[in-house]
Amino acid sequence: MNSKAVGLPLSYRLAVVSRCLAALLGGYLLAAMASVCLGLLLPLPRVEAVLTGMMSAFLFYLAAFIWAFAARSATRAWLGILLPGLALAAINGVTYWMNHS
Amino acid sequence: MKEGFRQAMAWLHTWAGLIFGWLLFAIFLTGTMSYFKPEITRWSQPEIPLRTLDTATSLARAQDYLQRHAADASSWFIELPDERTPGIGVGWRGGDGPRGFTRKTLDAQTGEEIHARASRGGEFFYRFHFELQMPYPWGRWLATFAALMMLVGLVTGIITHKKLFKEFFTFRPGKGQRSWLDGHNAIGVLVLPFHLMISYSSLVIFMYMVMPASILASYGGDQNAFFNDVFSPRQDIQASGEKVPLPAFPQLYAKVLEQAPQARVIWVDVQRPGDRTAQVLFLPDGHERIAVRRGVGWRYDAADGSLAWTERPEHVPGIIGGGFYGLHMATFAGPLLRWLYFFFGLAGTAVIGTGLVMWLGKRQLKHAKSGTQPFELRLVEVLNIASMSGLLLAVVGFFWANRLLPVALDGRAGWEINVFFGVWLTALVHALLRPGRRAWGEQLALAALLWASVPLLNALTTDQGLQHALPAGDWAMAGFDLTALGCGLFLAWVAGKMLRAPVSAPRRGARPAKAAAPNTEAQAR
Amino acid sequence: MLAVALFAFAGSAALCLAMDKHFSELLGRKPGPHQLRGLRSAGWLLWALALAVAMNQRGWAVGLAEFFGVLMAGLCLWVFCLPYRPRWLLGLALAGLVLAPFSALGLI
Repeated sequence: MNSKAVGLPLSYRLAVVSRCLAALLGGYLLAAMASVCLGLLLPLPRVEAVLTGMMSAFLFYLAAFIWAFAARSATRAWLGILLPGLALAAINGVTYWMNHS
Repeated sequence: MKEGFRQAMAWLHTWAGLIFGWLLFAIFLTGTMSYFKPEITRWSQPEIPLRTLDTATSLARAQDYLQRHAADASSWFIELPDERTPGIGVGWRGGDGPRGFTRKTLDAQTGEEIHARASRGGEFFYRFHFELQMPYPWGRWLATFAALMMLVGLVTGIITHKKLFKEFFTFRPGKGQRSWLDGHNAIGVLVLPFHLMISYSSLVIFMYMVMPASILASYGGDQNAFFNDVFSPRQDIQASGEKVPLPAFPQLYAKVLEQAPQARVIWVDVQRPGDRTAQVLFLPDGHERIAVRRGVGWRYDAADGSLAWTERPEHVPGIIGGGFYGLHMATFAGPLLRWLYFFFGLAGTAVIGTGLVMWLGKRQLKHAKSGTQPFELRLVEVLNIASMSGLLLAVVGFFWANRLLPVALDGRAGWEINVFFGVWLTALVHALLRPGRRAWGEQLALAALLWASVPLLNALTTDQGLQHALPAGDWAMAGFDLTALGCGLFLAWVAGKMLRAPVSAPRRGARPAKAAAPNTEAQAR
Repeated sequence: MLAVALFAFAGSAALCLAMDKHFSELLGRKPGPHQLRGLRSAGWLLWALALAVAMNQRGWAVGLAEFFGVLMAGLCLWVFCLPYRPRWLLGLALAGLVLAPFSALGLI
């Protein structure tokens, strides 16, 4: 991860870009899904749950950033962010559908 | 694996810090200045005289003015003067002001309208620090993302700092790069609660804009319903059309004091003045609690003549959110605590500044032997200089423009801002043309001269210089002059270190911000 | 606020001295393990006292904010002046420790 070589290989640069995207985009999606999940599932009045979800979302974004660059590979970076994100999205989808049917 | 994790976090810390450091330095510096927003605005409009503070008199003058000039307006507001804001602010819905409101400043004693020079004053720096002079909403998005990067920088810094507890009290000056790192770590760790709070609270402040997903999901996209739930705004009662004169505000204020002898009212909101359904809301200054609340105060209802405190039910997440807001804005802070906030804001600025300087210094050392600097490092060097000493020049340029531009100049508020950006741009060009250390020294020396001369400039161009402000107890005015002088002296000291020829070329410790002072003099290795 | 600052500063000084390296540098002798432990306890106790005074004076929320504020400021003062004027700082901490109770009781 910590290469000081002048001519960095293309694969390294691509991996860094990939991790950045995982952090930036994947992280945002993860944070958004977490906030929606908290907003829908917390046993609080609606406005309180939504506020709690929003305030907590940034912790998930931060965690995604840390993970994206700590993971052993760019692939693991993406998986570590997308998989929880998709799981939360699924929970959200089911909850939303249950609330509205 | 632990070793790998720390190294990865160090890499992230270094690169996130570099890429967002220049922007964050500007945000932190202007944000820190904003803790004295009223004082800066007061200095920028010296025409407003400082009077003995008397709430009842100010209310009477304001009501009189509004009654004469805005009797038919649907709402009024009054901003009462205090030690930081000498004039009475009055406003009403209507007229040709921005966003449909007209705003005037009145003399607190005579109630006459004051025509102070047009200037954005402290408001410019305050807005800049979260809007970045960019069109809505892009500036806010960028500033909020920068706040996230600051948080990333702080957390990765904590993870990377192996000896956080062992070196908690460690600062070793006079040792070159080691001192810079010690200083960077020290102001980072010792003031960490503040840094973390400021960064996280900035995210919470704009969370409605940047993280709206849960509103969409739980409220079906009905944002109005959500905001109604959060802020529970009062019902908008229609005007009845029946004219009933308002009671005198000083009388109402006396009734407020009967109910709450310790009350400090700073704002009065009047709905439907002169109507039978008029409502007058007296808002307190918010020093009694951290969590900010809107629209809670003593309400007078003309319909039944009642005057009572308007309590609103609160819930924990609302209090936490309001708490983040209050902690960030320091609305609850008295003068001493506000100075501490200012000091900590400067510390945050210095953490960023020292980090940028070290990033470059470490890498320049590697290229010192070859004598040439790769393009990337030169780019960073120029950006460091322009974003730090250049910004300091731009800020003081704004204040010099405020005093030197003709008072009657059309659009002078905009011209002050143009000078700000013009000076900043010039500093960038200067940094491109001059070698690194000399550019630092020259810009810092000029900044030192301009900052230290602010009191003199003030005394020569207005009658509100220190010779007047100090005896009169005008601490907003005098405080600004004295702080500017202090900044100038500090910058002079730093500039001196930069302009003294280094003993040997490799040691580059360019010094931008108001941080602890490790010895930047080059040391022979 | 003064009492909070004085207690907090004294506590910070104690916690610094509770570290072997700093104890030796500042007091010129090797510390015994009991002394270090004692200083550490005293430090935390003084910080807790500062927090209690702050909360008592300004309520739990503003008091907490004020506590952190003066604590951070005192720590900065200590750490950045330590290489230059350690004796002054020790004296200040000691004097603060003596004056703090009086300040807390409103006598100063």
